[in-house]
Amino acid sequence: MEIIKNALKEGRTALSEHESKEILASYQIPVSKEIVVDNAETLMKAVQEIGYPLVLKGCSSEISHKTEKGLIRLDIRNDNEAKEAFEEIVRGMGDVKGSVLVQEMVKGQRELVIGLTRDPQFGPCVMFGLGGIFTEILKDISFRLAPLEKKDALDMMQDIKGHKILDAIRGMEAADKDMLVDILINVGKIGLENEAVKEIDINPVILSGSRPVAVDALIVLEEPKIS
Amino acid sequence: MDRLATNMPSLFSPKSVAVIGASDNMNKLGFHVMKSLTNGKFSGKIIPINPTSNKVMGINAYPSINDYNDLIDLAIVVLPAKLVPDIFQECVDKGIKGIVLITAGFREIDDPAGANLHEKTADIVNRAGIPVIGPNTFGMINLNGNLNASFTPEFSNLKKGNICLVSQSGGISHLLAFMAMELNVGFSKIIGLGNRLNVDFDRMINYLMTDPDTKVIALYIEGIDDVRKLIETARKNRGQKPIIAYKTGKGKVGNQASMSHTGSIAGRHELYRSAFNQAGILNIDSTETLLDTAKAMSLCPLPEGPAMAVLSGQAGPSMAACDLLESEGLKIDGFTRKTQEKINDLLPPLALRANPVDMGPAWYDSSAMQGIIRAVMDDENVSGILFLMMFASANVDALKGVRDILIKWAQQKPVISCILSPPGIWDEEINELEKFRAIVNYPTPERAAMAMVNLWRYKRIKETMELN
Repeated sequence: MEIIKNALKEGRTALSEHESKEILASYQIPVSKEIVVDNAETLMKAVQEIGYPLVLKGCSSEISHKTEKGLIRLDIRNDNEAKEAFEEIVRGMGDVKGSVLVQEMVKGQRELVIGLTRDPQFGPCVMFGLGGIFTEILKDISFRLAPLEKKDALDMMQDIKGHKILDAIRGMEAADKDMLVDILINVGKIGLENEAVKEIDINPVILSGSRPVAVDALIVLEEPKIS
Repeated sequence: MDRLATNMPSLFSPKSVAVIGASDNMNKLGFHVMKSLTNGKFSGKIIPINPTSNKVMGINAYPSINDYNDLIDLAIVVLPAKLVPDIFQECVDKGIKGIVLITAGFREIDDPAGANLHEKTADIVNRAGIPVIGPNTFGMINLNGNLNASFTPEFSNLKKGNICLVSQSGGISHLLAFMAMELNVGFSKIIGLGNRLNVDFDRMINYLMTDPDTKVIALYIEGIDDVRKLIETARKNRGQKPIIAYKTGKGKVGNQASMSHTGSIAGRHELYRSAFNQAGILNIDSTETLLDTAKAMSLCPLPEGPAMAVLSGQAGPSMAACDLLESEGLKIDGFTRKTQEKINDLLPPLALRANPVDMGPAWYDSSAMQGIIRAVMDDENVSGILFLMMFASANVDALKGVRDILIKWAQQKPVISCILSPPGIWDEEINELEKFRAIVNYPTPERAAMAMVNLWRYKRIKETMELN
């Protein structure tokens, strides 16, 4: 993949959120609609295209924990808020090389995490679990070794304690398990087909109705060892 | 099949065994190995190898294997590590089919010389296709072949059965064997893999899948070099014979320095568990549960569904069992109307007659007890029966009353029990019932319940395997 090759050439150890999502999208993983902007002019164009309410985020391969650094503004509802948020994020990023992402506000109360880690013994392993802040707090997650079969993907969803989050609950639709299965299988494929991908975090994957959407993503790189 | 694999049957069922380092001195392991072979009533030829004695334990000894003119299938080696490469070369030249290398001092030691010796030794046998159990092991025992190739003669006291334990730890193997003697569990084989010169878990699984003596494969694992190979082997054979595994070493957590959440949460232990799951291996959390589960799997059919009947002589133990069954996903639902009507005819209204059934009031009426058991066995909504009965002076004859019906039933649906009395009172009756496979008995209601839970878990694994 061109993006990965270039990043490695530049000596980078991670892809930006937007680059990460481009990789995901090329593996048919649904990602949030978004546009990268660098100035007030392109911002306004992007805002019109995405439509309110929307999200602005600092976007750089050098920033991995955007929330902690105050580089995410959610639920922006008009041009004034957008301009203000844009300036704050640019200021917040300081000298860091990067741009700002204008992103659709994906609505949904249920957040999942899907990830990948390359283990020296097990090889690429796919992770599934509760997302958002619960990933770290509850660690309600399960793993499967890539490549995944459909059964593995279904099993690993059933494995987490909170698996009922995928059912039709409290008036919410049941998650589209077929889509989730495809995402899990394809995340495994990214690991198998790209030696340089060391880790992937897709957190959160928000259930927008029944449909899972990758709202934030991080791909960590490592120059493959020549064996 | 590679040559090493074709030699595996001879390794476990040899016609002749040489003990290289056999001794009459009980301070040497070579003494205890000889005692294991002779006490274990090995029916083949035993050939003690000792450079200075003509006889060991009254059996003709030879200075080296070359001085013995006939064929030797298996060599048990108890010599110091530094002598092993030369001895192995002799074994190759002699055409030996398998080796048990009890000696320690290979790659497990800090000194890099150990690792070098390991490589050198492995190279000799690998080229000749000789499978080696060990180094650094107590050995192995094949109970059906009366072959105790270990330094623990007492292993021969184990009951013969159809469970094969493959263990990375000698201590755990001894622990499980001694527990098994108390719990009346039988083994086909116990294999101490030790530091795995060329026989690792994956190779053992491949062999055991074809071993007619083995029905259940129990693994104790600490850590393996080629995990993917084990997983692939188990996966390839999934659904055939149950594989259950207890893996220790939870301590190692994920890479804390990792940039992503996925990387930092992924502990080696989680990955093992997940990989086992994926390969159809049932994860187990303690030595006790490993043995309990193996026992149930070796004797019971798998429950067809999650609905359980709990029949109890007293209420308390059944509460304990029900709590565990339900928390692990099994169901204690109502019986069919037909069953319930039969039970109502047999028990007075003051008893708890719905599932779980309190059979206390029927203690003195063996035909009532039999009627209840029969009705539950025949209930199409019941997939397994938990039978719990504590001794009381007044019910000393209760077991006699249900003996025949349990024996006749012979585990058509799994019947797991916790029947307990003070030592000496019901021992013989329980033994007899277990001998006829009428019950599979455990010392506590929770352990009995957990055994049933694991039968159900494995049933689920098997089902999803078949779907794929």
